[in-house]
Amino acid sequence: MHLEAPQQILLLLIILFPLGGAIINGLLGRYMAKGLVTLVGVGSVAVSFALAVASFVELYGLSHDAEHAALAYHFYEWFSLKLPGGTVVPVNVQFLMDSLSGVMTLVVTGVGGLIHLYSIGYMGEDEGYPRFMSFLNLFMASMLILVLGSSLPVMFVGWEGVGLCSYLLIGFWYENRDYAAAGRKAFVVNRIGDFGVLIGMFILVAVAGSFEFAEINAAAVGGEFRPDFPILLFGVAPSLATVACIFLFLGCTGKSAQIPLFIWLPDAMAGPTPVSALIHAATMVTAGVYLCCRLSPLFITSEVVMSIIAVTGTLTALLAASIAVVQREMKKILAYSTVSQLGFMFAAVGVGFFAAGFFHVFTHAFFKACLFLGAGSVMHAVHAHGDADIFKLGGLRKQLPITRWTFLASCLAIAGFPLTSGFFSKDEILLGAAAQIYRADNWLTTSVGWFTLIGLTLAAVMTAFYMFRLYFLTFTGEYRSADQSGDHPYDAHPHESPPSMTIPLVVLGIGALGVGFLGLPHVMPITGTHLPSWWSHWMHASVAGQPVPEEMGVVNLASGLAFGAMAIGISAAWLLYRNKSTDALTNKIPARLYQLAFDKWRVDELYAATIVNPIKNVATAVGHADMTFVDALMTKWPSFKVRETGRILARLQNGVVQMYGAVMVVGVVVVLAWFWTPHSRIEAAFEGTQVELTTPAGLGYEYRWDANSDGEFETQWERAPGTRFEYSHDDVRGVAVFLGNAASGIERRIEVTEEWSPLPIESVIPEESLPPRVMGFEVRVDGEELLFRQANAPVGPSGRQEIRLPMGRDGRLGPARVFSRPLVEATVEVRNTFGNMRRATKEIALPFPLGAPSHASLIQPAREVVR
Amino acid sequence: MGIGTYLALASVLFGIGATGFLARRNMLIQLMSIELMLNSVNVVLLAFNRAYPANHDGQVFAFFVIAVAAAEAAVGLAILIAYYRIKKTLDTDDATLLKY
Repeated sequence: MHLEAPQQILLLLIILFPLGGAIINGLLGRYMAKGLVTLVGVGSVAVSFALAVASFVELYGLSHDAEHAALAYHFYEWFSLKLPGGTVVPVNVQFLMDSLSGVMTLVVTGVGGLIHLYSIGYMGEDEGYPRFMSFLNLFMASMLILVLGSSLPVMFVGWEGVGLCSYLLIGFWYENRDYAAAGRKAFVVNRIGDFGVLIGMFILVAVAGSFEFAEINAAAVGGEFRPDFPILLFGVAPSLATVACIFLFLGCTGKSAQIPLFIWLPDAMAGPTPVSALIHAATMVTAGVYLCCRLSPLFITSEVVMSIIAVTGTLTALLAASIAVVQREMKKILAYSTVSQLGFMFAAVGVGFFAAGFFHVFTHAFFKACLFLGAGSVMHAVHAHGDADIFKLGGLRKQLPITRWTFLASCLAIAGFPLTSGFFSKDEILLGAAAQIYRADNWLTTSVGWFTLIGLTLAAVMTAFYMFRLYFLTFTGEYRSADQSGDHPYDAHPHESPPSMTIPLVVLGIGALGVGFLGLPHVMPITGTHLPSWWSHWMHASVAGQPVPEEMGVVNLASGLAFGAMAIGISAAWLLYRNKSTDALTNKIPARLYQLAFDKWRVDELYAATIVNPIKNVATAVGHADMTFVDALMTKWPSFKVRETGRILARLQNGVVQMYGAVMVVGVVVVLAWFWTPHSRIEAAFEGTQVELTTPAGLGYEYRWDANSDGEFETQWERAPGTRFEYSHDDVRGVAVFLGNAASGIERRIEVTEEWSPLPIESVIPEESLPPRVMGFEVRVDGEELLFRQANAPVGPSGRQEIRLPMGRDGRLGPARVFSRPLVEATVEVRNTFGNMRRATKEIALPFPLGAPSHASLIQPAREVVR
Repeated sequence: MGIGTYLALASVLFGIGATGFLARRNMLIQLMSIELMLNSVNVVLLAFNRAYPANHDGQVFAFFVIAVAAAEAAVGLAILIAYYRIKKTLDTDDATLLKY
């Protein structure tokens, strides 16, 4: 399908630049100077960002004229799919930039570009620097395919591509077994989700008849997904939309780290910090939210799925936040924070505020990338490898001023401090939950609304708390590794990072504070002033959603909860951690609860006990069965048999030369015996009315023929192994009746007697292709004619039909052919050099009529004859 | 003289050769027996060539057989000498090294 949108080749170039960078750095990077690697790696993304901006400007210009403005680029038709029913669905490699994918493209290339810049300083000393740049560029290309793909299969290519890059980059330092295992875990957990995406995709294409997002959404709006799913699930029949969306959401829980598949993301922090910032915070993990927004008109049709998403998101936000509260390591805390914030986004999607959820994706990309890069800057400064324990840090505000201020800005943003970006996006999400309660018309939506609102508020409190716990323990107080006491202290003299690392921090920090103004609330709390919200206006073109409430009660409730949560969280952290060096929280809550949260609620152990280990045990058992049973049957037993047979046959190889000679002599005798008497058989070929009779030639043979088997040889002894003969009427000894298939040429001789016997037409024509009127014929000989009649019809002039066929003539019975042939008999006598003789006799059915003989019986036993 | 006489002669020769090969234990004698059998085949080939002289196939084949027999005798004798150096005997009953 070609979209009715301006073709813009820039969309292709946006993807091709990072892809080219990945190829160049991947293949040649190790031979290139470091500066060149940097130029290719960072330059390609910078160009890509510039192109993205140019495309976005053009899109922005179009959006004034058309409601659903979009740019598209049709690259080529990849393949096509034939659905049952004959519809051919083309799968086009086509890229689309509308308001949703346009913003996402800017985020991916912009934030991605800054993180590439940061990587120059952070990864420059690593010997795998070209490899790192190559993987990072490949990630950019995959992510852009994911975002810009206009159909599910193209998006899925990107979806798998980012998964691959995630795996490669988590296990970037693959010499460390734990890191490599973390990469594998991420990959395997995501497989579960990808399976869901595939199933969902198949359901969608089966119903909508297209892979294109636009057409699937149009089908959803048109109610095509409303019918029931043909298979009962738990005794009820959900709608097609529900089933498809549940599977798609399963994919989202994998990619975007939601319950139950969130366990891979915290482990993914094994990768270098820029990777955590780019892939596992800002872009890839938001792909699930992006997919939900992309298919928002479909998702919104299923109340059940929306409720599942809202509850899952809220639970994830709570669970991850509660874990983050007690962690000790910077990146661990940020990882659980990411899981928690993704929960916020899905909760927003679940209450129908897709635009708000995506706004949180947008703001989160800035402040979370900035937080990760700040953490990386700290780790870089104190030479912490892998991760940094915040209880060994402290007081870094003096040594790392730029990092400190940008980190603080991002902490304020994520906590939801007024007028920062997180304030606006989180407020909008809580407003969505409150709006659902206000709007709800049944118990399901009401309870989901309350649950979401309360759960998210609690999660927001914890968010503010753990972020400022992190901030205070890292940047306030005294540097706890300064005196080099304690267990594995960090570098005693930390230093600020180079400009290539601080510039991205500053840009992202400013973004974290400022981008919120793009998405002002519709109605200002307390005053009730209507504000222009650029974001919701812009997103309206491509994302569906529930209406934004304007009732003051709802607006004030959401804003109050958001502000209160932020205030409580920050105050508590101020009291407990400012200028402190120990975790005061251990005294405030029961030790066992603290330990349980510190152990991440033992979810990994739960999965290991309930899913992983049983599967492992089954695999081990199957492996054992394979080795003991299958291998025994398939390899050991045959080899044993071969050995046994060999042992028996080896007895023949007894080493006695005379025995070998005797065997040879016996062989010679057998061969001689075969040649002692001649061997013969007759073959016939027809030429006009002449018959050419031949027999296989033998050395020293002589032949004489009695072509009509009357006892008198027509020829003398001759060396030539053949003769010609013309049969006359008197030579005929009988008639053979044949049944044939006119179409296929299959022929078969049948036995005919003077009694009625069934005509076995099925033997030459497949029974199912026989017309009913042909079935059930009987045949018999009547004097010199063949008689056919229908077997199952009543006798009488109108009923049972009889067909008479004179001998030697062809007749037709529907698709079958019946014909008779005159039979003659030929004899040959062969004599060899030793004077021994042998006869061969053969019946021959002549393929031309000679007339029925008067003297021969027409009835012949059915023997094989030469034809 | 008919072809049968030649064939009878060849059969007798072949029989003597085969019997010698089977009955004797001395490898040299056995090699000579093999030569006898080969030459009986040559007689058959020539006899048939006389009966069917069209392309002189029989004669040509007989030459082939003589050539191959000469080669075979050379190789065989070489083996015998090598064998004798190792075993100091030519009795086939002792040549069982490669037996299963």
